[in-house]
Amino acid sequence: MSQSFEVDYAKIYCSIKTGIPILGDLKITETLIVSWIVMIIITGLCIFLTRNLKVENISKRQAFAEMLVETGNNFVRNNTGGTKFDKLIPFVSALFATSVVSNLISLVGLRSPTADLSTEAAWAVVVFTMITATKIKTNGFGGYLKGFTTPIAVMTPFNILSELATPVSMACRHFGNILSGVVIDGLIYWALGLASAALFGLIPGAVGQFLSKIPILGIGLPAVTGVYFDWFSGCMQAFIFCMLTVMYIANAAEE
Amino acid sequence: MQTQELVTLVPWTFIIQILNLFIQVYLIKKFLFKPINEILEKRKNLADKEIREAREAKDAADSLKVQYEDSLTNAHAEAAQIVSDAQKEAQSKADTLVHEAEAEAQSIKARAAADIEQEKKKAINEAKDEIGSLAMEIAGKVVEKEISESDHKKLIEDFISKVGA
Repeated sequence: MSQSFEVDYAKIYCSIKTGIPILGDLKITETLIVSWIVMIIITGLCIFLTRNLKVENISKRQAFAEMLVETGNNFVRNNTGGTKFDKLIPFVSALFATSVVSNLISLVGLRSPTADLSTEAAWAVVVFTMITATKIKTNGFGGYLKGFTTPIAVMTPFNILSELATPVSMACRHFGNILSGVVIDGLIYWALGLASAALFGLIPGAVGQFLSKIPILGIGLPAVTGVYFDWFSGCMQAFIFCMLTVMYIANAAEE
Repeated sequence: MQTQELVTLVPWTFIIQILNLFIQVYLIKKFLFKPINEILEKRKNLADKEIREAREAKDAADSLKVQYEDSLTNAHAEAAQIVSDAQKEAQSKADTLVHEAEAEAQSIKARAAADIEQEKKKAINEAKDEIGSLAMEIAGKVVEKEISESDHKKLIEDFISKVGA
């Protein structure tokens, strides 16, 4: 067991030279690999849930799938107050599913793709684009630009800042929570490893030396802290991200 | 193995994650929302259809009921009509019968009276003849006197006319 603490960095499996400036080399990182695993899991689950659909006398599996869809529909409809944004439902659902599964996949030992700022930044930029597009659609391009000068022209820089703060805060909030979970989980494992090494190191002889190498205390406690740092935080952040997405877009559509 | 910075923005990861998100949206739409929404729609249509059919059936039953009630009322009226017609007909027939019977009785009575009258006349005539011959005989025997035939005749006729009066 190492004495110094190391955070679980995202590994780079291979680097493909592209020669494109700014973008740099295409690096296949752990983030991407796990993202694809997440996508496969979600899609596989969707296909599994929607097998043998029936109109009457439905199976539990179908009832669950219907419940998921209804929940998605209701979530978007309740928060936007109507069926005007029904096109958003699959987007929000995909965002939520990807976020939740990405956050929780750390439970099986993989590194969450959401513990990489690039992921959240990507999502936040997509959401920001949607918000802006909705605003322009509602008020026209002139109206959109004019919106920055409210209530007085002096406020323009602040309005631009606050507009840009939306995606930045969304991305950083989600990223920070998940990263902190990763860091704290790492810290807990590290500390428990040290503690068990110290405890079993007290046993004299070869037995003590052998046992002190195994982080026995690492069994149990991380499961308890994981309830908050992985389960609660993971679901909560996914929910908040989707909620904000829907709210911002619904607000943007208001005159 | 190489690792990336803890807090960093990797352009390619960023781009690929955007694409991943849209691919995920497409996949979730195709594999979850489309089939489930179709099923929900189907179920809704089925329920709507059943409700509509039930309503139609009810309407049909209602109109049938009205129709039946109408025809029942008609039937009642018709039956009453038939009964009254029959009564009238029976009445008129009975009246005719009675009239005929009365007429017949009248005619029978009249004929009987005529017969009786005739019989009476006949009897009277016979009696007249009998009495005539009797009177002649008695007169011939009692008087024992020679009277001419014409005297006889005159006497007899006198007698008869006195008897007939």
